[in-house]
Amino acid sequence: MTALLTEFTTTIELDRYEDIRAALFDPNLSRTFDRRSYAEGNIRDGIVSITHGTVHRARRRIENTQFRPDVLRLYERDLFPRVLNDLLDVLIDQPAADLFAVAEVLSVVLAALRAGIDVDAHDLDQLRELVRYVDAFSQGSAILDSKDPDAVRQLVADAYEAFERDWVRPSWDRRAALIEAHQDGSLAADALPHDILSVLLQHRNDPKLELADTGRVVREVATYLQGGTHTSAQTMANAFDLLFEAEATSPGLIERCAADLDYSQRVVHETLRLRPTTPKMRRRAEADTVIAGHAVPKDSLVILDAASGNRDPGLFGADPERFDPDRSIDPSVPRWGLSFGAGAHQCPGRSVAGGFPVPAHGQADDDQHIFGLVALEVREVCRRGIQPDPTRRPERDTRTERFTRWASYPVRFERWSTFR
Amino acid sequence: MAVEVSVDPELCIGSGDCTRIAPAVFHLDEDQGVSVARPAGVAATDVQVLLQAARGCPTQAIRVVRDGTVIHGSN
Repeated sequence: MTALLTEFTTTIELDRYEDIRAALFDPNLSRTFDRRSYAEGNIRDGIVSITHGTVHRARRRIENTQFRPDVLRLYERDLFPRVLNDLLDVLIDQPAADLFAVAEVLSVVLAALRAGIDVDAHDLDQLRELVRYVDAFSQGSAILDSKDPDAVRQLVADAYEAFERDWVRPSWDRRAALIEAHQDGSLAADALPHDILSVLLQHRNDPKLELADTGRVVREVATYLQGGTHTSAQTMANAFDLLFEAEATSPGLIERCAADLDYSQRVVHETLRLRPTTPKMRRRAEADTVIAGHAVPKDSLVILDAASGNRDPGLFGADPERFDPDRSIDPSVPRWGLSFGAGAHQCPGRSVAGGFPVPAHGQADDDQHIFGLVALEVREVCRRGIQPDPTRRPERDTRTERFTRWASYPVRFERWSTFR
Repeated sequence: MAVEVSVDPELCIGSGDCTRIAPAVFHLDEDQGVSVARPAGVAATDVQVLLQAARGCPTQAIRVVRDGTVIHGSN
């Protein structure tokens, strides 16, 4: 088995919330560690998450344009609701279902749209094929926690070739033709697609972006497809894992989610806090630095234990281990803790999946507020009467060391198919 | 009390967090992909809100100066 292949001067682990936050904001820490694990065929080679400094900022400037509030509201209030219930009617067509598999299909639809991958939102075969690619790319992105990194590299290489040929290239060709039409004056700007692939193609000649390599563009698109699918699906499974456990002592939580989108969003945030997709983030010190009083020499590996930081009793209350979506948290602290990261590399899709921060008091202003797609999904499956499946146990993803990942999550529904 | 706010366009990545926290102050220049501070909005906004936006900026691109003293950001 191949272990980490980068030499570090030392390893420093931080587990206090404010220390981790300071580290995430420190410009001397990068994500360019273990080059072989993230180069040589890995899906993350050269992508925005791995870049640093000027290149990273240039990429984020153009890519962040796809996460503006007006775009988020369009997705949440128009595009997603139209597909959400249609897909749930098809996916939940009998009492028993795999919640994780359902969530993956729901999430991949809009992730593909945002990434710039053209797909028929009502074609389950297409959606499931994209989900298989997402699964491969997710393993590649988490290769440092993989129990068999060599197998993951091969899996990613095999998936990547077909993904580029069958999905990215057709979408690329369509967009390139539209961009050319716009550039020669025959197509208005507002007729261009609004997605990651389109903005990358429009700005590809900017040397600051370092996108001359075609493969890098493809990998950037794959990153947004994977990032917009996998973590949302895992959060759904984790949310109901926590809800089912809490429901045993506090009945009525599922019904409350079904009736109250604000509460569903709080459930999602509390889930993210307790079950971060990346429980331990890693950074490399590009130069000597000091973080919260800790001396960090150049070429140190800095491990940021977000799972511990998210349980800081000083910030999250005296009982931080308990699943409590109603817990009182100072509004200056995100209810999801560090689970979307912080600093320059904070997750660009955090508002898509998790929505805007909930207000400290009262209900959110529905006219402006973004609840997040996962909250919408939680509410809808609750309306279908979701409950645990006593005959089948959920299965954790044993390919990874991360405790927050599921391979399957069997559930049952009281209402399915033509429920509406 | 004179408060000034500026955004370093070299550091800003256009995340838009500041526009949500202090919409009267910050708006995104879509041509450049970065946030810009409006002086009129600064004058009408509580300095604690400005500091919240500055603290939350992912690249620490926002500088807040009060009565000539930098209270957030680099000198």
